[in-house]
Amino acid sequence: MNRPRLAIVGLTACSGCQLSLLNCEAELPLLLGQVQFELFPLACSPVQMAEQYDATLVEGCCTTAHEAELLQELRSRSRLLIALGTCAVWGGVATLRSDTPREQLREQVYGPQPPSDDGLPQPLSAYVAVDACLTGCPPEKHELLALLADLLRGNLPVRGVAPVCSDCRMRENLCLLQERDQLCLGPLTLGGCGARCPSMGVACEGCRGPAPETNLAEAMAVYQQKGFDEQTVTARLHRFCPEWRHG
Amino acid sequence: MADLRTINQLARVEGHGRIRLEQQAGRVVGARIELYESMRLFEALVVGRRYDEIADIVCRICSICSTVHKVAALQAVERALNLSVSQQTELLRQLAVQGGQIESHALHLFCLALPDYLGCNGFPELAQRAPAELKRGLEIKALGNRIQELVGGRAIHPFNLLLGGLGSIPTADSLALLADQLQELLPAALATIELAAGLEESLPALPPLPGCAATDGPSLFGEQLATTDGQQIVACGAYAWLDERLTDYSHAKVSRFSEHGPYLAGPLARLNLHAPLEPSAQTALHHYAPRLLGAPLTASHLARAIELLQAIERALTLCKNLLQNRVQPEQATSVLPRAGSGTALIEAPRGLLLHQYCFSADGRCTAAQVVTPTAINQGAMAAMLTALVERLPDAAPDTFKLQAERLIRCFDPCISCAVH
Repeated sequence: MNRPRLAIVGLTACSGCQLSLLNCEAELPLLLGQVQFELFPLACSPVQMAEQYDATLVEGCCTTAHEAELLQELRSRSRLLIALGTCAVWGGVATLRSDTPREQLREQVYGPQPPSDDGLPQPLSAYVAVDACLTGCPPEKHELLALLADLLRGNLPVRGVAPVCSDCRMRENLCLLQERDQLCLGPLTLGGCGARCPSMGVACEGCRGPAPETNLAEAMAVYQQKGFDEQTVTARLHRFCPEWRHG
Repeated sequence: MADLRTINQLARVEGHGRIRLEQQAGRVVGARIELYESMRLFEALVVGRRYDEIADIVCRICSICSTVHKVAALQAVERALNLSVSQQTELLRQLAVQGGQIESHALHLFCLALPDYLGCNGFPELAQRAPAELKRGLEIKALGNRIQELVGGRAIHPFNLLLGGLGSIPTADSLALLADQLQELLPAALATIELAAGLEESLPALPPLPGCAATDGPSLFGEQLATTDGQQIVACGAYAWLDERLTDYSHAKVSRFSEHGPYLAGPLARLNLHAPLEPSAQTALHHYAPRLLGAPLTASHLARAIELLQAIERALTLCKNLLQNRVQPEQATSVLPRAGSGTALIEAPRGLLLHQYCFSADGRCTAAQVVTPTAINQGAMAAMLTALVERLPDAAPDTFKLQAERLIRCFDPCISCAVH
């Protein structure tokens, strides 16, 4: 069997999703026998685009015209295009303050004459068709390896539906919202992380984006009962996803 | 789209940058590094956010450096709010930062830089040509991640490091196990120094650069900024001294060092500023002193290898200290918002990192400044590229570009950090 040819590319992001792959230290040498890293600028030279890829994994949100052009070119050369991580899937932290004009943000950082800008940070799906999503800031290593295993078998990963609360129940964790009055976003956030943060006593910050079937109104009522006003909860929800879709 | 076949992007570095050549009659007469990473705007994104959200947001500037960004942000916010942390928290934060140092240095040495010296394109070819070295490097890298996971909860974007303390405290058993693993890797770290010392450099001799680093004893946390030419700048004055300006070719601001400089930040600068080292690292530095002290940029890989040993030894010392002090569960110190500003200086794997925040009385961030080592190093990169142009007058543009990329990789640039 031919090894699938992969492209792994980062747009506007921290490289954490790509680093998660490089953090699979034990598995990395084994992976080399299974897949070909044809385009992976973070880890391999030269940076040259091939005619075709079996799958392209894209980290980050798409911000500039150059990134949009690159993304569209990758899409046209790839059998499958996968959004890798929260920024690619939902927009991520780059979309914070997306209600403020970009010009104003640039002036805040660069002063009265900021460098010119030509775009808005948006998830990949705003520009191209996405075949599969792997969420998380960063995604879990086991999910990344499972994705590669799926690709090898010609499958795509199944998108989860259960919130972080389900993972917490499985681990028999103390409920940080109910029993510790903490602003935990576990009830609304897509699980699959094994409730990594609540398991160490740290409230879920919603880094995996919204779970598809949650009751936002009900959750808001619980948050308010615990003393968190809607504005505080909404600001927290928007840390990784500007449009918290639900229902 | 014609230019997309060969994307003009630096490979084997974090983020998006390119080298632009100026040519006359087929000869290279100028070269420039352009950090074209899209503007991240983190210093604006945190404005209006509450004090307890700042570190969680800004650690997303960069994955390789997420632990050190998180700790620097926590320290700066705690200073602004006049909050102190326990000695146990301090030691655990130091341990997490050493974990980040180990991971980052191992990643750079073995996966990003080593291919240049063994004629490979990256880790896939390295796995065939030097499997033992790659395996060793990945083992060291994994240990750095294990430390960050144990203390920070995750190798990337550590959530367990909180304002005033930690969520969960590692158990004594887990720290004892970590100490054993660190001890076992000391020979691998020594072998890495030999490997780095034996690399054959194809870059021409370059002039040395003065260095700058945050200094404060054996931790990487600094109270002040020092330079190899004898300047001392207090933390609260560091931002003004660095003196960042805009250019028309980089989305990262460039430091002007108050009309001095340029200065080099990073492992070579730190060793030249004589930061106190653990015993084996000190011995290694002594042994290789003639190749490191006052040495040009190309000594950076050897400096990084010595720092890798230093970080492993230092992490081991920290584990022992924590065990001696009977590490125990404790609650994070509670915080009350107040108006104020705070600055933290810290040594990230690539050099000096500064975080500075101002808060209003209700604890909302009103202003933020982050200065990163790769942004600081832009001046040194420009100076070294100019020196390379002078030293390779007859090189064909393609050959020159390969050498220029090797030169830039000596800085181990982190462009997401630089642009932030």
